[in-house]
Amino acid sequence: MSFEGKYNVKSPAVKRLMREAQELHEATEEYCAHPLDDNLFEWHFTVHGPPSTDFEGGVYHGRILLPPEYPMKPPNIILLTPNGRFEVNKKICLSISGHHPETWQPSWSIRTALLALIAFMPTPGNGTIGSLDYSTEERQKLAKKSLSWQCDSCGKIADLLSKDTAKTPITEEEQHMLDTIALKAEEASTNEPSFSSSIENVSESELRQRRMDTQPETHEQQEAEIIVNPQVETMSSSNDLFWSILIATLLFAIILLVLRRLFLV
Amino acid sequence: MENKPSQQKPAENTEVNQDELILQQQRRIEKEISESIALVGEKEPLQSLEREYLEDEVYLSKAKTLGQKYSYIRRTRPDGNCFFRAFSYAYLERLIDIKDEFEKFRELALKSKDNLVSLGFPEFTVEDFHDTFMEVIDKVGAGTEASRLELHKLFNEQGYSDYVVVYLRLIASGQLQREADFYQHFIEGDRTVTEFCHQEVEPMYKESDHIHIIAMSAALGTGVQVRYMDRGAGTEATAHDFPEGVPPAVHLLYRPGHYDILYP
Repeated sequence: MSFEGKYNVKSPAVKRLMREAQELHEATEEYCAHPLDDNLFEWHFTVHGPPSTDFEGGVYHGRILLPPEYPMKPPNIILLTPNGRFEVNKKICLSISGHHPETWQPSWSIRTALLALIAFMPTPGNGTIGSLDYSTEERQKLAKKSLSWQCDSCGKIADLLSKDTAKTPITEEEQHMLDTIALKAEEASTNEPSFSSSIENVSESELRQRRMDTQPETHEQQEAEIIVNPQVETMSSSNDLFWSILIATLLFAIILLVLRRLFLV
Repeated sequence: MENKPSQQKPAENTEVNQDELILQQQRRIEKEISESIALVGEKEPLQSLEREYLEDEVYLSKAKTLGQKYSYIRRTRPDGNCFFRAFSYAYLERLIDIKDEFEKFRELALKSKDNLVSLGFPEFTVEDFHDTFMEVIDKVGAGTEASRLELHKLFNEQGYSDYVVVYLRLIASGQLQREADFYQHFIEGDRTVTEFCHQEVEPMYKESDHIHIIAMSAALGTGVQVRYMDRGAGTEATAHDFPEGVPPAVHLLYRPGHYDILYP
């Protein structure tokens, strides 16, 4: 590989990334990813929009930035193709990307990150960092447009994915990891760990359904709390002020009356 | 405290700014720590511990009593991985001198990968950590004076050092999950053992508690003695053996939030 002269191949991180490059070398119909020619720590990837969603038929391209501490710290994902779910040119907030480093596990990999990204596309954004909530029509329009999108270094992205190589099936372990990832995101935004005990019994789609059901309210509540808090404070302090002025005025009036009574007699 | 000003800003920015500020501050602290404290330090006479507490009677008296039982201390970087790093360093250092125990450990380490894969850990990455772990073991296993230097060098190279920590975290997690019925009783809150492992054992930089130590010592069949040094009553740092009754192969000093290595 061309990296051998450039990087210390004895470094575990370099060894690991070269191994991952080998593993992801062949494109599948679901995703493909490769390191840039001159930088093993920056990759470009392409994923297919998940079927039976707003993104069906779309092809989305982006960058993966790997921190020097990889795989101890998570990769950052940046989408480049407009898609209506994630802002482009912005590090996006999956529970396994860099914004929530505490949930990342070194035994996950770039493949895990891509699978998580695909699984996350149809979930509601709810105003989290880097999220967009475009309508179905807008997303479908963007999905069609994405087929002619070009990357400066990779060319026309629609040609990058394989048309006949079946996707590598998601193993049981990976499915479990994906469940964990999805669950993590849910916990992070709703603070309801009570679902966790039933995870084994629910299928992923059910889980997603639940997330759609529960997330909006609770999240709005959270946001509302954040926004409202300062106002409540100022309101309560202005309330206090109002009452003190009232009490002071009344006291003053009483004293005045007493004094008048005393001196006018 | 530094977050205060951002709270005055418009609400829509609050979340982002807070996040960024916390991350920035965290990075600054991490950088400071990594610049000033080695991953694993040199062996120091125990008096250096006393010198830390000249102004603090409780700790000073405990440090002095500790000095009667232990001669040296080796400090580790407080990055949340200190238990696993201190434990593996101390254990491998001990094995340099004990050939048959080393062979036994090597055998166990070799088999550990298949055990983890059969428990459902992803083979592709577990293999990667396992290979590096075995590489470190074999480099140290020669049993010569050079082994000590090699051990110290590898444990101070972030890449190797962290890979050893990751793999030990996986082994501890495997142990907990294999005997989940037993360990479930020790887990606080509404979590299953598997969830606990995903949240508190496998991720890097997560601090270790009793349960991590119990799992680690059980998985490797190694006794660990921890001296707890805190503000509690008495003039001695309380000793705790994991598991009880097994002669300790590794001695650690615990001060709130941090583990260092002790030498009798």
